This record gives sequence, structure tokens and C-alpha cells, in this order.
Amino acid sequence: MKLAIVVQRYGLEINGGAELHARYIAEHLARHAQVEVWTTCASDYVTWRNELSPGDERINNIPVKRFRVKHERDPLAFGRLSEVVFKQSHSIADELDWLEAEGPTSPALIAHIGRHASEFDFCIFFSYRYYHAFHGARTAGARAILVPTAERDPAAGVSIFAPIFRGVRALMYNSPEERTMIQALAGNEKVPSVVVGVGSEVPQNPQPHRFRQKHRIKGPYAVYVGRIDENKGCRELFNHFNSYLRQKAGNLTLVLIGNSILEIPKHPRIRHLGFLDDTDKFDAIAGAETLIMPSFFESLSMVALEAWALGRPVLANAKCDVLKGQCIRSNAGLYYDSEAEFVETLRAIEFNKWIAGSLGKNGRQYYRDHYDWPVIERKYLAMFQQLAEAPQAGSSFEPTPGWMERRRATCPPAAQVVAATPTGPSVAPEMTIPRPAGPVTPPLPRRPQTPDRGRQSQGRPSSQGGRRPQRGGRRSSSHGPGAAR
Amino acid sequence: MPDFNVRSDAVNVEQIMEQIRARIREKRGVDYTEAQIKELASVKLEKFLDPRGVRSDLLEQFRRAQPNYAPPELPNFAFEDQTLFESTRGPLRFIRRLLQPILKLFFNPNPLIQALNIQSKLNASAAEREAKRDAARFAFDQLHYEVMHNLVIETTRLGIEVKNLKMRLESMASRLEFNERRARALESVVVYRPAAEDRPVQENRREESRRDEGRRQENRRSEPPARPLPTPSAPAVEVAASEVTPAAADISPPTPGVPEGPGQKSRRRRRRRGRRGSGAAAAIMGGTEQSGADQGGDADSGDADDAAIDSETELELTGNDDATEQSADRRESRPEPFEHAFGAQAHPAEAATGDPAGAPASPSPAVRPTEDQPEEPTSSKPSAPEQ
Repeated sequence: MKLAIVVQRYGLEINGGAELHARYIAEHLARHAQVEVWTTCASDYVTWRNELSPGDERINNIPVKRFRVKHERDPLAFGRLSEVVFKQSHSIADELDWLEAEGPTSPALIAHIGRHASEFDFCIFFSYRYYHAFHGARTAGARAILVPTAERDPAAGVSIFAPIFRGVRALMYNSPEERTMIQALAGNEKVPSVVVGVGSEVPQNPQPHRFRQKHRIKGPYAVYVGRIDENKGCRELFNHFNSYLRQKAGNLTLVLIGNSILEIPKHPRIRHLGFLDDTDKFDAIAGAETLIMPSFFESLSMVALEAWALGRPVLANAKCDVLKGQCIRSNAGLYYDSEAEFVETLRAIEFNKWIAGSLGKNGRQYYRDHYDWPVIERKYLAMFQQLAEAPQAGSSFEPTPGWMERRRATCPPAAQVVAATPTGPSVAPEMTIPRPAGPVTPPLPRRPQTPDRGRQSQGRPSSQGGRRPQRGGRRSSSHGPGAAR
Repeated sequence: MPDFNVRSDAVNVEQIMEQIRARIREKRGVDYTEAQIKELASVKLEKFLDPRGVRSDLLEQFRRAQPNYAPPELPNFAFEDQTLFESTRGPLRFIRRLLQPILKLFFNPNPLIQALNIQSKLNASAAEREAKRDAARFAFDQLHYEVMHNLVIETTRLGIEVKNLKMRLESMASRLEFNERRARALESVVVYRPAAEDRPVQENRREESRRDEGRRQENRRSEPPARPLPTPSAPAVEVAASEVTPAAADISPPTPGVPEGPGQKSRRRRRRRGRRGSGAAAAIMGGTEQSGADQGGDADSGDADDAAIDSETELELTGNDDATEQSADRRESRPEPFEHAFGAQAHPAEAATGDPAGAPASPSPAVRPTEDQPEEPTSSKPSAPEQ
């Protein structure tokens, strides 16, 4: 089986959620199929500047083809069009202009998809909202599988995306909340879909003491991992934590890991460590009392999954349906909706070791049941098998409206459309694929063995630049083709 | 990575959150919704608290809506006696003036001219008055607006203060309730036990005193009965303080490291009272029976109750050590004569009784070791009563 993965950015140094998700999926599916990645030369998601060389390269033994971006993003034009599309009645032409302004506009990538998609069994597109996914999925036709990575933001309500959600062969959702929202927006219940998410490369033996020693962290602490940004809810986090400090509610120190674009309050119990490598990050999470996720919008929080994988409880922002839903479904995290709740939940986790331990244990089980790599791989493979058994002749995408139709200002404001969709966490238990007792047997014919195969399966490509954590023995000993490997 | 052996199935996040919310409600007294909190937060309190900080543009808007008042130019005309016959044309004006006497043959125009003249003057004065009134009303409007504006500000400020006070009151009420509950809970659960390090010492002392008592009894059997009586002039309290008895150990001030149990202080106070009227001293002064009889008259029921309680407490504290201590408690807690209580037995005027030389050679029954006095010291001083 041949798979093409199409994503806006790709590389070891690119740590964006969807991009990392795509890389992990590519590397894990490469054990079962021949995988190729098609992406752009951009590494900055704000400008889409061509910073990487076009052409072929191999990253962790995965062939990667890069294509140039036609033009960088003009923030002013994009902001103006976003204002029109999100808040005013507008036309489809406006939406297409907005998509073009958002980028990464790479006609060369789309042309390549048009030329070579037929050589692949499936083309998996990541992030519905970008140029490459919209035009690429239409170009790939019946081979297009979409991993939307959709958050509850106004972009989801842009009307040109609904035909994409209805037209792709399958959708791989990150969470039940995401599926509920997209189905409400596009009415695509008939399209095969599954809630998959993504796993993580969590080390089996993190060393919290090493982290404490290295960064001189004393006493109990709560950790936040991610970009320190107002959009990620960090300002609210600082306000709430200041209240926690003012009330002398506990002894926790807030440890912040990640690059900051927000002023961090000066307090001895708020420590900003900057960007850390994965080893330090996992050590920090493993030693923390809890991981705090203050983000308002998340499609899936990988760092929350990593905390659960390490047996640590999560304290999430209840305004984010996805995080709240995960906390409820997993029984592995608490959530806050106000300052008082933040303080009390943090106190509960800090002082009630039974609750913290139980949450952590549930989290570990939740991760193993739903987000461990063998489970993720089996969900993808099962979907490929399902699609292969019911082949589709042609593209099911609805035709693009004509010139006149595109210019009628009949589209409602996107923010209004999203606001009308159902909200709230999904508390129904997620579908669980039983963990395989032995090695995962791919349901589809495996690609011919290559000389690289043995090396690939034995250990995940070795860490480059120290960014990748070492793989634990559990997975390699019990699951996956790696076990066969 | 720490692993907890817990009953994970029992954790229900939604239940925990409910409990946390209930706790918040209990603490704050009222559970504000997010919208209410936002509404409260949107009030710029500091602006209202500091009048100089009020920068409302409402007044400016009001002024813009009502531009500066200018009295209107009302149409009016001066009406004089020749006004009716005036004309811009000179011949016509000449003909009218020429024919004026003929007109006056038909009617008298003078009253009409006069009335119109007066009316013209009235119009002018009315217009002037109206203009003045408008100007005054305009000024009053602005004044009213400012008054209303200030009233609104003050009302808002008061409303916010009332809300804050309500919240503080609720908070204090909940704290008070919590403290009361805590106090009740503490009172109900605290049972005094001697500190762990004190017990062996006490037991050793008791054991020692038992041995001493045994030795004394043997000595008494072997020795002649003549034995120097204890010096009654020594104050009983001092004696008690110098004695090393379990009772003295009990009443000694707590060591700094050992916290004093609740009720211990009052118990100590009662012991002191009892000691002042110690049975041993009373016996030295006048014999047990007499003393008891004397004391009976001055019995203070409160003290007696306290002593009874005390003896029960002591029983509880020491367990089933010996019944002698209980009986000693009961005996020594009896009311005492006033002079005994204040050390009158040591007064020089009573040297006859206080002088050990004048004391009877045979030991007084009161000082003879009995079961009621299990801890008589080996020294010649009278023992301090134990409660």
C-alpha cells in the first residue's frame, strides 16, 4: 500500500500540533505501508516564507518532497479578509480569497498531487483550513482522507469547507467533540470516520530528579508546556495562579516550558524555563503534581496525552470542550471554569494524593486504551481496509459554484455559523479497539520489505539533534509490527 | 515515576467537580455564574471610588446634543402713530396724509394706533423674558444633568460597596461557622493523655514511692515511734513544689516542648487550691477528724464538685493505678478553713502548734502513712497532697 501524507509544514524542528501529528502518523504508518510526505518549503506558519530547500529529502527514513510557496502571507490582507469572512455576510469568492491569503499557497504542490495522486492508494491531508488541504483534497478526489485537526474557531464555519468534509473518502477525527462539530457544520454523517487522535513518543523511564537538579526546581510544582501565548489561555492562567498565590492556597510552583510571546509575571513561584528538549520536557511532566492546560481551543492536546501517559493528572480549562470531554471520559483530569475553581481544583490535586494518584492512574489507562500507538495504527489500518473493500469510482466532491454564484454574498458570518453548532463535551465513552496481544498484523497487504525495513522497525529513527525521546521497551516488546520487526 | 495503589474505579471527575463547586459555594456563600462575574468585573470600580478619575463623556455628549442657546430673533415691528400711513412712495404718502382728516370723519384710528403700539412693546418684552427663561432653563438642565450624573455614580458606588460588604459578610459568616464547628469538633475529640515521655517517669516515680512506703513501714515496725514531725511552718505549696511525687510531677509546669492539654491549666489551679487546704497540713495542725469537721462547715460546693471531677479525671488519666489516689483526691478536695487556705498555720502567733518541738512525740494519726497517702516522702517534711 502506498500512502501520501500532505501537510503544510514538515520537519524535525517543526513542533506545531498538526505538523507533529502528521510526522508521527507518517513514521508509524511507514511500518505498514510505503509512505511519502508532500509538503511546502515553509517552516514559519505565520509568513509561510520559503526557508527550506525544495525537492526531495529523507527525514527519519521517510521520503519528503517539498514545494515552494508562491507568496508569503500578507498579514494585513489576511486580517481584513478574516474580518469579512468571520463577521460579515460574504460571498464564496471572499472565502476563496481568504483561503488564498491564509496560505500556504503552493500551486506546485497541488499540481504534484494532481499528477501523482493516482499512484497512491490514499492521500492523507492534515489541517482542513489551509490551502493545500482544500485544493489538494479536491485534486486527489476519491483518494483523499482528511485529518481535520479542527478547533472550535470561526474558520470551521467557512462555507467552502463543508463540501470538503462531505467529499473526502474518510475523516480521521481527533476527538468526539471535533466530530460532533464538523458533522453539525457539514452534515457529513455518511462519510466514514473514526476518532483516532495521535499517540506520543513517551519515554518509559523519565527522571524527574534530573530535571529538578538541572533547573533547580524545589518543592512541588505544576507544569505548563506549550507556547506561552494569550491565545493559549496563558494570561488567564497567570491571573488564576496569582490568585492561588495570594490566597496562600498551596505550595505549588508554576513551571512554564515553551517560548513566550507574553509577559510573564515576576514571582519566585512562577518559573519560566524556555524551550526544553523532549527529555527535559518529559522529566518535567513526570515530576509535576499536575499538568495545566489553560487553552480555550484545542483539537487534541498532545501534551495532555503525554501527561496521562506518564501517569500525571491534568488540570484543563473547562471552556475547551475537547479537554473537558477528555477529562470526563478518562476520569483522569479536573477542569476549571473560574478562578475559584482553579484554586480549589489545584488544591485538591496538590493535597489529596489519593485523587491525584487515581487520576494519574486512570490517565495512564486511558492513554493505553485510546492513544497508544498500536491502537492508533490499528484504527488507521482498519479504516484503510474499510475503504479498500468499498472502492469509490470517482470524486464525490460537489462542483465549485459558477462565476456568478461565487460572487453572491449569501454566506453567513463564519463565527455565527460556528456559534450555532452544539457545544459541550461528549461524555459518551470512546470506541476502543482492543489492544492486540501480540504483534499487530496489518489487515492490508504489506509493502515489500526494503533493506531499510529492519532498521526502521527496530527503533524509531534515532533522535536527531536530541529532539526525539528514546523509545521505551514496552511498545517494542509487545506491539506492532515493530514486535515482528 | 510514582505509582499509586489506589482504587481508581472509584474516582469520578464529575463528582469531584461537584464537590469542589459545593465547597466553593460554601466558602463564598454565593456561587456567581461566569456571566455575573464578568458583569462585576466590567464595572470600573476604581473610577467610581476616585471622583477625580471620572472621565465620563456623557456631559460632553449632552452639550453636543444641546448647543449653546441663542435667543431667537422673533418678528416684531415698532408701531407708531404714522405707521399706518407710511409708504415708500412719496406722492402716495402725501395723498394719505392729505386725506387723513377725511378718514377721521369715518372712524377714530387713534385707539387702534395706540393699542398696536402697546402690543408691539408687549411683544418685545415677552420675547426678552422668554429668552431669559430659556437661558435659565438651559442652565438648570445642565445642573440637573450633573446632579443626576453624580447621583448615578454615587448610587453605583454604593451598590458595589453593598455587594462587597455582602460578600465579606457572607465570607465572615462562613468562616465563623467553620470556626465554631471546628471548636465543637475539637472539644468533642480532645481527651487528655500524658505525653508519652512523661508516662515512664511517672510510673517510675510511683514505683519508687511504693518502694519507699514499704521501706518506711518496715522502718516503723523496727524503729521506736519517736520521729520528728515535719515542720508545719513551711508553706505547703513550697513543700509540694519541692516534693518529687507523682502529684508534684503532674502539677509541675509543662516542659516547653510538651504542649499543655486543654483543661490541664484549670486542673492545676484546682490542685493548688486543694493543696493549700491540704489534708496533711490540716492534720498536723489539728488532726484529721477535727480538720474534716471544721472544713465541713466551710464547704464550698463548687470546689467540691471540681475536686470530684478532678478525681474522676485523674482516675481516667492514671487508669487503674491505685485506688488510694482516688481516695486521697476525695479527701483532699474537701473544703478547708480560711486560715489554712492562706497559710495562717504558719503564723508566728501559732508557734505552739507550729513548733515541731512542741509536737507530740508519737506520730499523729494524720501523718501516719495511710492508704490515703500513698506517696509520703522519705523526708521529714509533710507530703503534699495529691489530687
